Amino acid sequence: MDFDLPKDDDPRRLDVRAWFERHPNPTGRELFAAGYVVPHWPRPWGLDADTELQLIIDDEIKRAGLPAPSSVNPVAINNCAQSLLTHGTPEQQARFLPPALSYEEGWCMLFSEPSGGSDLGGLRTSAQREGDHYVVRGQKIWTSNAHTSKIGVLVARTDPTASKHAGLSQFLIDMDAPGVTVRPIQDMTGAAHEYNEVFLDDVRVPADRLLGKEGEGWRLSNLQLQTERAALSKPGAVWGQGPSARDLVKALIQTGHIDDPGVRDEAAQLYIEGELLRLLAYRALTDRMNATPSGPEAAVRKMLAAPHGQRLLDLAKRVQGQGGLVEGEEIFPLPNESRHLFDNWDYAFWFSPAVTLGVGTQEILKNVLGERLLGLPRDVDPTAKGPWIDTQRPELKPAN
Amino acid sequence: MNFALSDDHRMLRDSARAFLDEEVNLQPLLKRGATVEQVDYLGMWGKIAELGWPSLIVPEAYQGLGMSCLDLAMILQEMGRALLPCPISGALAGVWSILKGGSEAQKERLLPMAVTGDLKLALAVCDADGTCDGPASDARATADGDDWRLNGSKAFVVDAAAADMIVVAAENGGRRGLYLVDATAAGVEIELLRWRDTTRQLCNVRFANASAELIAADDAEIWPWIKDRLLLVLSAENAGGLQKVLEMSTEYAKQRMAFGRPIGANQAIKHGLAETFGLVECSNAAVLYAAWMLSEAQPSASLAATMAKAYTSDAYRKATHQNIQVFGAIGFTWEMTNHLYFKRARANAEMLGGTAELRSHVIDLLMREAA
Ligand SMILES: Cc1cc2nc3c(=O)[nH]c(=O)nc-3n(C[C@H](O)[C@H](O)[C@H](O)COP(=O)(O)OP(=O)(O)OC[C@H]3O[C@@H](n4cnc5c(N)ncnc54)[C@H](O)[C@@H]3O)c2cc1C
Repeated sequence: MDFDLPKDDDPRRLDVRAWFERHPNPTGRELFAAGYVVPHWPRPWGLDADTELQLIIDDEIKRAGLPAPSSVNPVAINNCAQSLLTHGTPEQQARFLPPALSYEEGWCMLFSEPSGGSDLGGLRTSAQREGDHYVVRGQKIWTSNAHTSKIGVLVARTDPTASKHAGLSQFLIDMDAPGVTVRPIQDMTGAAHEYNEVFLDDVRVPADRLLGKEGEGWRLSNLQLQTERAALSKPGAVWGQGPSARDLVKALIQTGHIDDPGVRDEAAQLYIEGELLRLLAYRALTDRMNATPSGPEAAVRKMLAAPHGQRLLDLAKRVQGQGGLVEGEEIFPLPNESRHLFDNWDYAFWFSPAVTLGVGTQEILKNVLGERLLGLPRDVDPTAKGPWIDTQRPELKPAN
Repeated sequence: MNFALSDDHRMLRDSARAFLDEEVNLQPLLKRGATVEQVDYLGMWGKIAELGWPSLIVPEAYQGLGMSCLDLAMILQEMGRALLPCPISGALAGVWSILKGGSEAQKERLLPMAVTGDLKLALAVCDADGTCDGPASDARATADGDDWRLNGSKAFVVDAAAADMIVVAAENGGRRGLYLVDATAAGVEIELLRWRDTTRQLCNVRFANASAELIAADDAEIWPWIKDRLLLVLSAENAGGLQKVLEMSTEYAKQRMAFGRPIGANQAIKHGLAETFGLVECSNAAVLYAAWMLSEAQPSASLAATMAKAYTSDAYRKATHQNIQVFGAIGFTWEMTNHLYFKRARANAEMLGGTAELRSHVIDLLMREAA
């Protein structure tokens, strides 16, 4: 056990810093070539970096005023691209990884459907094999960044006669293929264009775009939701980004709100929680270095971090009183290096209800934790057994 | 950096757990009126002395094992898990007081006896109003030639009744110092408190011109160092007990049937236990971090220890209450261990400062850092 973080004069840090001095405005391609986009991946994609080197690179990216790679192409870098290392063909790796890791091709996640997001296994979009293509029909929803993405990671049903989880497969589809229509959805913040509806009308997907084997879609999707990279630099309030409890306490001290005893006590609680979440994130990183696979433990951190973020943004908003309700007013100090929309306290607050929904709702995470880590009995799912297709016909629905 | 436990630490923890599983039997305590006397309070001291636990934190120069706070935390967590009834907390506090405050001669004389278990120590630092930070004290020290005399009282003294000698924080000339008294000396009166946590003994101690030996005339620099370590002891106990309580509730939730299925199949129960799992993870992190900071004498060690005590206290209180709720009415009886954990949690949370006070101190420390 050793909690020492890499020092400011660590030789490896100096190397990385020198690189950023030589490349003040690096392109994605340059960052990727240097191994700084996914340092923890094996070569040639990353640097096989240990925990310390990863932290150093994270720090130095921030110091150089650049956004974290995970926020530039999150679906590829946090969730899905890693599946290509384990389940992709060499051709798929060569085709998809370099542009994804160079920020040249954005990715999006075509998982949730209008019929339900939590019950991912019950999805209805179908992919039917026809010769050397699959033909995809259905609709996806809540797809973040669909409008800016080149590649969509699609989960679709290839075998309606298998049980709901066994009949799913994953594909890497072109978002500009004929039959793909993306329509924006206005989210409640009103500020950004966050997510979309995606209509898939007879989209022809070449068979070599299948990831892994038919029927592996459920497993892959779950792995991808879990491998979300540990938010290293700070346990920001919004999925690891945005202001942290440290920023909150700093701001409350600056504004004098800390003198209110109630605020003081809440702030201390949030600060302590934030520091502990930071430690858990570091430990997750160490575990990965020690080749302990990321499993349901990742759900613990998300379960803790999401409401923690909501509470800290809530306190920041409350101390502003009525002033905090006026659109466009930012009367609370911004964190020093703000470069992401989430670094804006006001935006982060209005966005915060989403953090206990996206990437697994709070309720689903607690189910996962209770069932897989504590071994408690599973929730009842009358649709889990038997051919999926039968569960779609009310008259044939299995009677529990 | 490496945030994982080493194999040595794992072994230390596992062997402590195996020993305590074998030796600690709380059954006799599960009767109204039973006290630690019924669970071999002093006998247990002999057994852990044989294992060398009292010697862990004593440097090798004084025949101890010279281990770190991190090593100690492995064992403390297990003691908390088992609710080990044994006067070890007082002993640790006493040893730290002499280590930090005593003269070389005092260390050479006293610590080797503490190591073998022949000398049981306690630390009397709290006053009747619950405060413990000085420089005021309900006990006063006055010089009497080369000797010292103590008058007044101390409150909430852990393990005083079992101790051979007590380190007393007493005031003299506006400063608070540390003095050593023989627990059986004339003018020392020890009164057992009817402490709700029956796995421990707390006492009030009164002094009537009791003869004492000076350890340190001013504890202003000494007490904070001791206190950080005592906060770690309480935090580690909390984290260990918390883990045990989650295991108890989870096991019961799998077995107890209602409406044709285990109660743990219901989300109200399942989700509550999932949340407690989160508290366990954070509490362990808090304890290990504080223990490491203290071991390495890091500048923010005090902050880490304060945070650990505040966090684990709240978490432990919450989980021990849940552990009664999950069991239903049986969990509310004296014959189950649920209430022992509940009471330990309530008691630990108030010792050396309640959570609100500690959290306020966290902000003080952060403001000092920011200034
Ligand atoms: C900002 C944002 C971005 C998103 N981006 C994407 C994206 O890029 N790609 C994508 O595919 N999806 C995305 N999502 C969708 C997200 O994954 C889903 O919202 C989520 O899985 C929940 O599905 P749902 O909205 O259909 O709610 P439902 O599944 O209908 O759930 C409604 C409520 O019921 C609860 N519930 C459901 N089942 C249970 C149960 N068994 N026990 C207890 N409670 C239950 C849920 O927790 C929730 O509170 C995004 C969502 C948000 C908010």
